[in-house]
Amino acid sequence: MVATIDIPILARGRVIMPSEDDSVVFGGRAGASFRAPDPHKHVSDLLLGSARHLLDLQETPIDEIIDFLGRLGPLMALEANPYLQQAFELGLEAGGLTEPVLREVFNQLPPLFDRQRLETEIEKKIGKAYLDGWVENGKAGQSFRRVRAFGTRQLHIPAGNAPVVAAQTVIRAAMTKSDCLIKSPSNDPLSANAIVRTMIDLDPDHPVTRHLAVAYWKGGDEVLERQIIRVSRIDKITAWGGMASMQHIQKYLVPGLDLIALNPKHSISVIGKEALESEEAMAEAARGLALSVGNLNQTACACTRVAYVECDMDDDSLERLIQFGEVVYDAIQALPPQLSTPADRPNTELQAELDAIESEDEFYWMKADTINGGVIVSRFEDKVDFADDLNNRIVNLVPMPNIEDVLDRCDHTTQSVPVYPESLRESLRDKLAVCGVQRISPMVSRRETVWWGDVDDTSGLPHDGMKLEPRMVRWVVDQSGKPAPE
Amino acid sequence: MRIALRPENPVGWTEYECDDLFALDRQEREALQFEAIRHRFSQLRDKIPALQKLADKQGVHAIESFDDALRIAYDHRVLKNYPLSILENRDFAKLTSWLNKLTVHDLTQVDLTGLKTLDEWIERLEAYGMIIATSSGTTGKLSFIARSREDISGWRNAMRLGSLAATGIDSRKVRLPMFSPGYRSGNQMSVKKSSLFAYETHGGPENRFTLYDQHMSTDLLALAGKLRGAEERGDVEALGLEPALVEQRQRMIEAGRRRDADVQVFFERLIDQFRGQQVSIAGLFADLYRVAQAGMDKGMKCDFAPGSVISCGGGMKGYKGAPDNWQEIIKDFFGVDRLSTYYGFSEMTGAMPMCSHGFYHAFPHTVTMVLGPDGQPLPRKGAQTGRMAVFDLLVQSCWGGFVTGDEVTLHFDDDCECGWKTPRLGQSIRRYSEMEGGDDKITCSGTVKAYDEFMEFVMGQG
Repeated sequence: MVATIDIPILARGRVIMPSEDDSVVFGGRAGASFRAPDPHKHVSDLLLGSARHLLDLQETPIDEIIDFLGRLGPLMALEANPYLQQAFELGLEAGGLTEPVLREVFNQLPPLFDRQRLETEIEKKIGKAYLDGWVENGKAGQSFRRVRAFGTRQLHIPAGNAPVVAAQTVIRAAMTKSDCLIKSPSNDPLSANAIVRTMIDLDPDHPVTRHLAVAYWKGGDEVLERQIIRVSRIDKITAWGGMASMQHIQKYLVPGLDLIALNPKHSISVIGKEALESEEAMAEAARGLALSVGNLNQTACACTRVAYVECDMDDDSLERLIQFGEVVYDAIQALPPQLSTPADRPNTELQAELDAIESEDEFYWMKADTINGGVIVSRFEDKVDFADDLNNRIVNLVPMPNIEDVLDRCDHTTQSVPVYPESLRESLRDKLAVCGVQRISPMVSRRETVWWGDVDDTSGLPHDGMKLEPRMVRWVVDQSGKPAPE
Repeated sequence: MRIALRPENPVGWTEYECDDLFALDRQEREALQFEAIRHRFSQLRDKIPALQKLADKQGVHAIESFDDALRIAYDHRVLKNYPLSILENRDFAKLTSWLNKLTVHDLTQVDLTGLKTLDEWIERLEAYGMIIATSSGTTGKLSFIARSREDISGWRNAMRLGSLAATGIDSRKVRLPMFSPGYRSGNQMSVKKSSLFAYETHGGPENRFTLYDQHMSTDLLALAGKLRGAEERGDVEALGLEPALVEQRQRMIEAGRRRDADVQVFFERLIDQFRGQQVSIAGLFADLYRVAQAGMDKGMKCDFAPGSVISCGGGMKGYKGAPDNWQEIIKDFFGVDRLSTYYGFSEMTGAMPMCSHGFYHAFPHTVTMVLGPDGQPLPRKGAQTGRMAVFDLLVQSCWGGFVTGDEVTLHFDDDCECGWKTPRLGQSIRRYSEMEGGDDKITCSGTVKAYDEFMEFVMGQG
C-alpha cells in the first residue's frame, strides 16, 4: 500500500484532485494517509446553492434514474472497477474484515443496483407516480387537491464500516430525486468516492451525477460545517454515528433543518429452553447463533454479541449451558470462510478484558480468544461489562430463568433479535417490538444463496424501525380552483 | 551523599527527605528498586491468590528483570472484574470471596452477618484491619482497592513527601486548614485519604472544611448506572435499596444543579473567615477558576497569609472555554505563588509531584514502566510514549504491580532541569478509553451512552 492516497473532491460531475497548493492530509487507521483538496476552498463546489437548481432532477423521470442506476450495477463489480479495488485494498489494510469476508461484502454491491429491486423498492416506499408528477388526492376529475413528493438538498454522513452503506446513500439520494453531499467517514474515505466516480465516468452530465458531491473533512470542523449546514443550503441531514457525532451536529440544528438520526445499534439473540433439551436442538440453535455472531466477523450492528438463554441458575442447568457453549464454539469455527473467518490479528484491548475475567471462574466459563472467537458463559444473570465491545466472533451466553426478562435488556438501540425456536419468536415478537427492537427473525443456520432472496419479499423494508425515503422528500400539496380535468 | 537504603524495606526509604531521595544515583536507585520488587514477589507470590494465578499463567517463578515485573503486573481491570450483579444483589459473601483474592489477609474470618449496604461491608472489613477504598467511579464501574493497616505508615510518609515536594509545606511541622469542595466522608480514594490522614495533613477533622458535610454513599456510586436505568423504567424499588439512600441520591442530584453557586458561597465564606491565615486549598482547577473569575468580577481578592497552597488535579477537565491564562487568574485571585499538582491514581499509594519545570517525578518507592501498543515493555531509556505501569513498593498486603489505562510520555534519563534525578512524566496524559470515538470514525454498531445526572455531579467533586 502506498503511503499517501490522493482522494479527489467529487463535485457534481467534476473531479477536483488535490494539488501542491490545494491539499489537506489526514491520517487513516491503517497507516496509510490521505491527501484531499482543502474543503475550505471548495465550499461552493460542495453545495448546490438555491433550491431552484433541484428542478432538473424533478423533471427527470424516475424510470430514467432507475435505468441509470441499473447501468451502474455491473460497473460495481470489484474485478471491473479500479476505484473499488482501491477501497477494497484499504479495507483490508484497516483490518476490520478478513479478505474472504470483505470480498463477499463488496460482492453485495452490484445486486444493490438491480433494476427490478430498485423499482420495487421505490414503488413501495414512495410510489413512482408521486415522484414524477402530481397525484390527485380525491377521485380523478373531482379532486381539488393533489400531492407530489419533491427531492431535497441533503447532507449524508454515512457509517464507514461497510461499503454497502455508501452505496445505499447514493441510491437513496438518487431515488428521492435529491441533491446530496456525502461527508466521507475517516474509516472508509474511499467507497462513496469510488461509486460516485464510477458514475462520473459513465455520464458526468446525467442529472443524478450532477446532484452528487463527495468530500472528506474532519467531523466537527465548525468553521466548515457552519458554512454548509444552514437551513438556506441544506434541508435534511442523514447522520449515522454515535453520541459524539450527534452532539456536534445538533449544534447546527434550527427549525426547518430535519435530522434523520441513524444512531448505532447492537443486536442480541434469544434462545428458549428447547435448545438445551436435546443434542439435535443444541446443534441447530448453535449453528444459527454462530451465524448471527460470526456474519461479517461480528463488525456490523446486526451481529449478536449477547445471547440470552432460557436456563435456571442451579449448577446442573449452568453445566448444560456450558455444554451448549462448547457446541456454539465449534459452530463458530465451522462457519464458511466467505461469511466469517478467524481474525488476522488479535484485538489487544478485548484480549485484556478476556484475560481479566479468565481467573474469575466462579463467575464465568470461557473458551475464547480474539483470533478464533469463542464463547463466554456468565454464571449469573447478566452480560459481561465489555459486552458492547465484543468482537472477533465472541458471544456472551447469559442464563435467564424467566426469558421474558430479556425485554428489560432491549431498547431503541436493539436492532436485530434472532429467536429460537419459532414458537418463542411468535410469542415474544410483539413484546420485543414495543420495547424498541427493530427486527425479529428466526435463527437460521444457513444464509440464503441469493443474499436478499425474493425481490418482492425483501424489498421496501423499513430501516432500523423507520421509513427513511418518505422522510427524505417534501410532500407538497397543490390545490386548484376547480378540479383538474380527467 | 550516600544514604542507607535496603531493598527489603522500601517503607524505610520514606523516612528520608525529598532531596535525598530525588538525588539518588540512577544506577543505585534502579538496582534497589529491582531488588525490592524481587524481594516483594518472593514474599507475596503464593500468598495473594490473584497474583499466584497470574504468575502461574505467565510462568514467572522469580523476577529476573524489570520486564518480568511487567508480565505479572495487574491489568487495571483486575480490581473491578467482579460481575456487577453481585453488588446489585448485595451478595456480600461472593463479593468478599472476590476481594479475598487480592489481599494477603484471610477475609473468610470476617463475620458478614447483618450487612445491608456496601458502606457497612467496608466498615466491617475495616474493623478487621483492612483499608478499603474505591475508585472515583467516573468510568462506570468501581474498582476496589484492598490495603490494610500494615500499609498505613508507608502511605502516610508518601503523602508527606509528595506534598512537601509539590508545595514546600512539611506536614510534620506545619498543618494547614484545608478547603475541599467535596464530601466529608466516603470510600472513594481521594475522600478516604483526606479523612484517614486528617490529623497528619491538616491537624484534625475540624480543620478540614468540605462543601458537603455528608457521607458519599458507596452504594449509590456502585449502582449509579443501574439506578439510572431502573429510574427510567420506573422500577427503582426492584433494586432493593434502602429508601433513605434513594432519597439521598435525589438530594444529591438537586444539590448538583446548584453546585456552582454553592461552591462560590463555600469559598467566599472561607476566604472571609481565614483572612490573614495560611491555608491549603484542594479540589478541581475548574472549580477554582470559576470561583476566581466570579470573585474578581465582584472586585474581591483573597488575603491569605504567604505560604498558602493550592493543590489540585484534573487540569481543566469538565470546563470548556477557560482562557489560556487560567492559571494566572487563579494564582492572582487566591494570592499564591504557584499551583501544586500531581499525577496519581487511586491504585497507587505515592503520587508523583510536579517539579518547577512542569514534569511529574516518581519517588524511588514508585517504580515506573511503559508498555508499547502490543503490551511489550519499552526500553528503560530516553523518552518513551506508551501505557503507564507502576510498581508500588509501599504496599505490603496487596500486589503493587499495576498497568494503567493512561497513555503517557515517560522520561527515564535523570536530566530534568529541576535537578530531581528520577523518571518523570510529561504533562500530556490521555486515557486510552477516551481516544476512540473522539474523531469521525463512524460505524453502525455500538450503544449510546446514557446521560447520568448523578455521575455528572459526582465527577464535579474532585
